[in-house]
Amino acid sequence: MRVLFFAQLKDVTGCDAVELPPPSPPNGDRLWAALLEKFPGLAAHRPNVRLARNWEYAGPETQFTSTDEVALIPPVSGG
Amino acid sequence: MQIEVQLTSSPIAEKICPLRPGGTAGAWVEFRGIVRGEEDGRPISALEYEAYPEMAEREIRRLLMEISAKHPCIAAKVVHRVGVIPVGETAVYVGVASPHRGEAFALLAEFMDRLKQDVPIWKRGARSAEHRLGTNQNIAGNMPSRCSALQSLDEATAEIRARCQPLPGVRVPLTEALGRVLRETVCAPEDLPPFDRSTRDGYAILADDPAETFSVVDTLHAADWKPRQLKPGEAVRVATGSALPGSGLRVVMQENVERTGDRIRIARRETAANISFRGEDVRAGAPLLPAGVKLNAGALALLATMGNVNPLVSPHLRVVHYTTGDELVPPDQTPKPGQIRESNSILIRSLLQDFLCDVEQGHLPENFELAKSAIENRRSKIENADLLLISGGASVGEKDFTRPLLEWLGFEIVFSQINLRPGRPLIFGVKGARVAFGLPGNPLSHFVCFHFAVATALAQLSGGTAPIFLRGQLAEKLDDQPCPRETLWPAKLEWEPGGSVRLHPLAWANSGNVASLAAANALVRVPANQGSLEKFTGVDFLPLTAMLGM
Repeated sequence: MRVLFFAQLKDVTGCDAVELPPPSPPNGDRLWAALLEKFPGLAAHRPNVRLARNWEYAGPETQFTSTDEVALIPPVSGG
Repeated sequence: MQIEVQLTSSPIAEKICPLRPGGTAGAWVEFRGIVRGEEDGRPISALEYEAYPEMAEREIRRLLMEISAKHPCIAAKVVHRVGVIPVGETAVYVGVASPHRGEAFALLAEFMDRLKQDVPIWKRGARSAEHRLGTNQNIAGNMPSRCSALQSLDEATAEIRARCQPLPGVRVPLTEALGRVLRETVCAPEDLPPFDRSTRDGYAILADDPAETFSVVDTLHAADWKPRQLKPGEAVRVATGSALPGSGLRVVMQENVERTGDRIRIARRETAANISFRGEDVRAGAPLLPAGVKLNAGALALLATMGNVNPLVSPHLRVVHYTTGDELVPPDQTPKPGQIRESNSILIRSLLQDFLCDVEQGHLPENFELAKSAIENRRSKIENADLLLISGGASVGEKDFTRPLLEWLGFEIVFSQINLRPGRPLIFGVKGARVAFGLPGNPLSHFVCFHFAVATALAQLSGGTAPIFLRGQLAEKLDDQPCPRETLWPAKLEWEPGGSVRLHPLAWANSGNVASLAAANALVRVPANQGSLEKFTGVDFLPLTAMLGM
């Protein structure tokens, strides 16, 4: 699955997207674990970052599959 | 609820037409968020915004739907700009229609709060108002610092866009407006056509009149305006384009009618009404031409139709261009050994044609003191110019000459090198609303720097659309060694019979190479360290001004 990074998270990961195998079990916690393994620098941001799946904010029950577009959304500041 | 959402990297129009679905709105409430001249207590010249566009658009729609359940509104339009936005320009526009003002105010207030919590758009960094020598100071603190004096193509373009403000528009008659950039959104002041009119020569009758014979009670010509209530059995003779005498009518083509004196008999009934109905082409209030379009012949005809005879458009830009270089002789002279003919004057003058510039050209001796005294005589001309261009000579490094000259003239140097081949020693300076470029002297560098940098500045000063990269395919292998700089490679663009674009890379050995200029109508973007690109590789390219009317 494709995971996108935005704003300051791009500076942390050094890229704007990464391909990851779907987490197993397919929940947000496992996804975070995989991300932190790859990008330890994300740990400091995790409390303020929301996950999105296919252009909608994910909830605690959201399941992630290999065809999903996932995004890490740091605190927004539009307007 | 009708919702329009737009994320754009272009400036948001000064006037936006209200949405009026179904005519039930009694209020149209607008809000604009403007980039302030200060961020975290320090002066800035621009803010950069980043978005996750697909999700931002969905989230905006979702929020509007959710909030409108509490505060019922009829329609909303949201435009959020992204990329570099100069101070004073609109970052976000929201317009809301509702039956009464209360709901629209309430929805707008809550929407703006929620937008700042949930919509994936980020302020990425502030551009300092105290720029120095091409460094890009970062105030917001969350951008990687870009302290290198070498700017990438994208950074340089963003900097030019941020530093060049549209010049005040002027109102001119339509006969002087061709090729200028429209500076206001023009909406239809009335329905078009303004009345129901016949599309045939024939006879108007009541739409549901079953009679076969009719008495002709009147005759209307194209310019006549004679309203009347038709009765069953009555017909009015009409010409193509005639305003019909009333509503609820149809027109029977004269070919399907037999006329005897003042009576007609319908020989064949048609299903078509043969009427062009009022407002069928354009409804009153509908936006016809957005701000930022370049006015072409068709647009001028449309403005004339609307009676808009003095549109607000971009002014003619005043450009002063100096060539430098003691090795140059005018093109009509024979160069002595060590000399070459000067070709940049005609190159720049011709390239400026597309932008409706008033151009004044001259030559400067390549000696700082002599150049200063030459300029001193024409200082007022330079002070009044919107754009100053200095073509560097090849015999002395441009940096050693053009830059001190621009600084002496009071320009602040924004950058003095870019990480680009050809065209590395490009200098960009600003002084208030005025803009200056020091162009590297070689003709090919000139050509490249004009098309991405000067053209961007000119588009920005005019309030128009900056040049953009399109996608095409290489027709042949592009043969190159890996270069640490990004390259804009001259190419000849051709349309394939199927309608796709193929690009033939043109041979060039160094930036003094002039031969390929005559054939080039596109610049292919070759990434840094790329080396050769195979035939049929997809590439980004910049179409040049002569093409596509851009």
